Amino acid sequence: MSGAVGAVGAVYDRGYRPYDGPRRGRGGTVAALFVASIRRALGIRRSWRQKVFPWVLLAIVTVPAVVNVGIGYVTRDTPAEGFSFITYREYVGVSSALLLFVALTAPDVVCPDRRHRVLSLIFARPLVGHDYVLAKVGAVTTIVFGFSILPQVVLFVGQMLVSDGALDYLRDNAEVLWQVPVAAGLLAVYYATIGVVVASLTSRRIVAGVALLALALVPSVVTGAVIANDADESSPVAVLDLLSLPLHLRDVVFLGHVDPDSPLGGVSAGGLMAAGMYTLVLVAAVAILLLRYREPDA
Amino acid sequence: MARVDTPSFVADGLTKLFPGGTTALDGLTVAVPRGSVGLVGANGAGKTTLFRLLLGLIGPTNGSVEVCGMAVATDPIGVRRRLGFMPEHDCLPPDQTAADVVATFGELSGLPPRAARQRASDVLDLVGLDEARFRSMAGFSTGMRQRTKLAQALVADPELVLLDEPTAGLDPIGREEMLALVERLGTFGISVVLATHLLDDVQSVCDHVVMIDGGRLVLSGPTEKLLERAGTVRLDVGGRSEDLGRALRHRGLTTEVLEDGTAEVTADGQDIDDVLDIVRDTVADLGLPLHSLSTGYASLDEVFLSQASGR
Repeated sequence: MSGAVGAVGAVYDRGYRPYDGPRRGRGGTVAALFVASIRRALGIRRSWRQKVFPWVLLAIVTVPAVVNVGIGYVTRDTPAEGFSFITYREYVGVSSALLLFVALTAPDVVCPDRRHRVLSLIFARPLVGHDYVLAKVGAVTTIVFGFSILPQVVLFVGQMLVSDGALDYLRDNAEVLWQVPVAAGLLAVYYATIGVVVASLTSRRIVAGVALLALALVPSVVTGAVIANDADESSPVAVLDLLSLPLHLRDVVFLGHVDPDSPLGGVSAGGLMAAGMYTLVLVAAVAILLLRYREPDA
Repeated sequence: MARVDTPSFVADGLTKLFPGGTTALDGLTVAVPRGSVGLVGANGAGKTTLFRLLLGLIGPTNGSVEVCGMAVATDPIGVRRRLGFMPEHDCLPPDQTAADVVATFGELSGLPPRAARQRASDVLDLVGLDEARFRSMAGFSTGMRQRTKLAQALVADPELVLLDEPTAGLDPIGREEMLALVERLGTFGISVVLATHLLDDVQSVCDHVVMIDGGRLVLSGPTEKLLERAGTVRLDVGGRSEDLGRALRHRGLTTEVLEDGTAEVTADGQDIDDVLDIVRDTVADLGLPLHSLSTGYASLDEVFLSQASGR
């Protein structure tokens, strides 16, 4: 006989333990929804298939920075030193490629809540409609901003390191340190808000994605055709190009005025018109979102 | 035991009209005590609308409602901090694990992230999903999904949980297990309002019943009392049931002479003890022999049918 004689097994019913620890306020609830949405968009705690797209896209948008830095390294101490095939301002424009990312991410963050009727559980929590809107728009904006900024950081740090004097490069390009975040922020808020508002109107991700691309591309093509007929290829109609609208503001941030070569270049007060239209679009989008989630369980 | 002595909820003239003229609730006035309460009524009686009003997701057209002593109209957020809610419909994202979903809802209820994960683990263990909690919910059975829904309602340790048809779609064993879980909640100090049209569920786990029909209150009271009030008294008075019946009808009691010659007296909403007193006095007054006497309790189905048909 072993020493286990007399020992008996025990089944423990751990029962229920009340929670008496700290509780976060409404801000904490919004933050939790924000973080959960970011995790979902990046595929964290989801299957590998959901992880592939965001990280591959981040890699793709970083390629121009890596190539530019590589060229800078190869051409150092040569007559071609200082060659750069992409500027910081142009690189912010790469963010418009992130529209494709938004077309996939915003519906993925918003549509399943309605499709799987998770909204009824979310709004049974201590939050209201505009908390939900803030968390969702904030999450998509943060991701788009991050995906816009990271390649720029790679570009800036890389250029600085391959330059003759890192400190000199930093001093000569110091204004970029505020211009890039401001311009990228303007684009991120714009695309994210439009993406979330389109996604909020349907429970089907594919419909939302296609609708968002159509909303961006159709006006772009139409305004492009209208402007092409104009003698100086410049017209106020360009502000209706929803895809390019924030790029005019980017130009204002970097240049102090709209790009003279852009379709708004020959339009007087083109920058103001772009800013007005940008604000109008955002206000309309937020109004739709607040209305959409005013009675969330409906 | 309930944690505090305010009622679970108090509705005062609660009315909800939806656009198109549908009246979901029509002047509902009721005070529902702590403990396990069954909210019963046919489909479309207004149970789900009442839950949405309790959660502050929609506002009443008229009247007011307090939950856990707090006015929903003035502090819906505060009310929701005290509530857990398990909807009737499917509401779980299929591409996530139960542990992630329940922890996320814990955070959304105000728990810090680490506490939310710990609580999620605990409540999933409690509802019997300890092994399955890290599996994607896409492969969950109906029973597992119902348990996950219950877990998310409990994760933030609510004062009161609103359960909307928690046994819907479950097989008999799953139903028994779910009811056992619901019954245990009372021992944890969590009050329960269980909305269902399955009266057997309420009869087995609830100590108070609120019946609504067409958005109106039919009756409200302790389950045992309600069953007694729809009960019957059956007695054999040696073939003189007709005489007894006349006398009892005169005293306001419905009495029927059965084929075997015995008399059956229906409580008709009166306390069964009062009915027995009247029967005893009547038998004595008439000098009838009393060969046998027995009482029978009704089921909630019978109570509901008698009340609904009497309206």
